Amino acid sequence: MLNILVSIKQVPDTTNIRINPDTGTLIREGVPSIINPYDIVALSLAYQLKLRFKAKVTVITMGPPQAKNALKEAVEFGADRIILLCDRKFAGADTLATSYTLAEAIRFLQREELFDLFLFGKQAIDGDTAQVGPGVANRLGIPVITYVVKIENLDPIHRKIVVHRKTEKGIEVLEAPFPILLTCEKDLSPLPFVPLENILKAQRAEPETFNAEGPLSFQRDKLGLKGSPTQVKKVYTPELKRIGKIYNLDDVSLDDVVSKILDVLRERDLL
Amino acid sequence: MPLEKKGQPMGKYKYDVVIVGGGPAGLSAGIKLVEKGFKTLLIERGRFCGAKNLFGGIIYTSSIKEIVPEFPEVDNFPAERPVTEEGYFFISKDGVVKILHTKRDPKESYTALRAKFDAFLSDYAIKKGLDIAVKTRVLDLIWEANKVCGVIVDRPTSLEDKTPASIEAKVVVLAEGVNRVLTERAGLVDRTVEPSEVVLAVKEVLQLPKGEMEARLGLGENRGLAIELMGEVTLGLPGTGFLYTNKNTLSFGVGIFLNKLMDLNLKPYEILERAKALSYLRELFNGAETLEYGAHLIPEWGIKAFPKLFGNGVLVVGDAAGLVNPLFREGTNLAIYSGLMASEAIKFAFEKGDFTEKALKRYEELFKESYIYKDMLMIKDLKAILLSNSQLFQVYPELMYQICHLYFSAQGRAKRDVIREILAIIRRKRGLLGLVRDFLKLGRILW
Ligand SMILES: Cc1cc2nc3c(=O)[nH]c(=O)nc-3n(C[C@H](O)[C@H](O)[C@H](O)COP(=O)(O)OP(=O)(O)OC[C@H]3O[C@@H](n4cnc5c(N)ncnc54)[C@H](O)[C@@H]3O)c2cc1C
Repeated sequence: MLNILVSIKQVPDTTNIRINPDTGTLIREGVPSIINPYDIVALSLAYQLKLRFKAKVTVITMGPPQAKNALKEAVEFGADRIILLCDRKFAGADTLATSYTLAEAIRFLQREELFDLFLFGKQAIDGDTAQVGPGVANRLGIPVITYVVKIENLDPIHRKIVVHRKTEKGIEVLEAPFPILLTCEKDLSPLPFVPLENILKAQRAEPETFNAEGPLSFQRDKLGLKGSPTQVKKVYTPELKRIGKIYNLDDVSLDDVVSKILDVLRERDLL
Repeated sequence: MPLEKKGQPMGKYKYDVVIVGGGPAGLSAGIKLVEKGFKTLLIERGRFCGAKNLFGGIIYTSSIKEIVPEFPEVDNFPAERPVTEEGYFFISKDGVVKILHTKRDPKESYTALRAKFDAFLSDYAIKKGLDIAVKTRVLDLIWEANKVCGVIVDRPTSLEDKTPASIEAKVVVLAEGVNRVLTERAGLVDRTVEPSEVVLAVKEVLQLPKGEMEARLGLGENRGLAIELMGEVTLGLPGTGFLYTNKNTLSFGVGIFLNKLMDLNLKPYEILERAKALSYLRELFNGAETLEYGAHLIPEWGIKAFPKLFGNGVLVVGDAAGLVNPLFREGTNLAIYSGLMASEAIKFAFEKGDFTEKALKRYEELFKESYIYKDMLMIKDLKAILLSNSQLFQVYPELMYQICHLYFSAQGRAKRDVIREILAIIRRKRGLLGLVRDFLKLGRILW
């Protein structure tokens, strides 16, 4: 049986996000929370794998109490076990502290069962760092393949996987043995239309909660704000500078405008 | 009554009652049914209950207490502000005449946002034992002979069984809202809705710079306004506007009979944009940011065009039935009360062991005993009167403004002249006889 761990994050729906111009902080009020879209891809992939192979899926998240809703939604994707890392002491974590906390929790879970496949989104849309997946892999001492766009082959008998990885230059085709951590790009898996059974199951699902006191022990100084060397100094919206010039065709003839545009392009060595 | 279709294996999903729609009507029916011990499933197509819905809106404590007795003393309080001042703004091109009333008991009603309120009710219902399937759409009813005995949804049954899931139920409650497709399929009404029977409401949630809403509307902390807007906001068309204060935002919208909008070929957003350009509203909304925008229909076909409220194995509640009272802005609470009555009727049917019309007629009987029926009878001619008397929306708000203007800026003039001028304006705009006639018309509704 394939044993899969998916790590997800609840994020504000950034299509709705605004920044308070006075304080420079995010206005979270009234902004609905969603599962990070790339993590949805990871969940969708886990769902497809479950359809194809016999698989067990464990989903983990670190977040405030309401992150529970993200885990419930994960049950719609067929999660068999859901775990919420929730404690005031975890709060304010940067990527270093987050990957420490997640890795410790995963290490704890692995005392019971070893995972073959670790699925992370390529990045979270509220921070865009793309560091947590690789950070966890590094701490667990397992290989990582980032920006995966396609699973070409998964062989549960020989316990290996062939994937396509997107790079700036093109696609890399990589083969790796289990265990392996993948970070998922958006085209990796289509969104499944899950059965009614899963929807009903999700509604009553309750996550297991881990906090700073247990069931595992953490090094306090590596948690949350304390364990985070990154400090947010200021958040602001970069100002859009328009340097384009607008000609009104009522004032200038089309020919004039065209030749003016050509002049500018030549001036800048663009033509 | 045998439940399974003869010769077919019994389905995977079997409930006493299935409810279609997770608005206030469906949720309150659901809460009451599980309290009475019935295994009940509610199906909602939105991402969560409330996700698909927007409303003004005011919620009333007395009706909510029927389903959540501890309200308003609840965790995660689902409302925005208590309504401490209520009234009418008559808006004309030049300004506004306000009639405001300060309420004695601020806990009587609250402003609310549906996404929060419905989600609260659904959490409450789930805790009580109601099963809720979100993101799931009911496609059709299942019939056996001439009795409804379940529904088919769009989702597959299970990982192994890809066929659309069918759910058996002894009674199906249709709480599908104004777009009453299944009510038609159930044969409870024999025609689709006409544009003259619905009001199209367009709504925005607006946010002003911090502190500005309170300053501009003279609001203290924990005080709230619920205002109906008449006159130019609807471009003089039959309908009203509304303005409600939320915690940090304003709900603002305009509702106009759909047929009138179609006649004029007006787009929903055009109505709001034009309304927001009126002097008073322009100042009020200066610097506001629109956080949300949406449109929704309000069923105002009235009791004369009600669907039959019950059939074999089926009941219809809330907006789907047309249970709104536009004159007194009641919709959510009528939805809630109808859900309660439906649950009572279903209990009666289970006691009788009869799920046909014969037992479910109990629902209509309960309805006819309720105040809602009396109210719906009272306003039965309202729609016709409003639609054929557009002067009510065109002339009076303007008239009121002009009269007030003359009255309050009458210094330095003989007051008798001022009064004469006022009477002259009335005569010109409507004629004294017209005035009397209009009041009689409206009076006939109310008395
Ligand atoms: C702009 C506006 C302002 C309003 N202001 C007020 C106010 O201030 N006070 C007040 O009391 N009332 C107000 N109302 C009226 C009030 O919102 C409605 O009367 C009330 O919501 C009716 O509740 P309901 O449960 O019958 O229907 P709805 O709330 O419409 O719920 C129906 C639900 O059924 C779901 N559904 C439909 N078909 C299917 C299907 N086939 N499968 C699955 N799910 C389905 C829909 O997604 C929806 O969630 C307002 C309405 C509007 C539009």
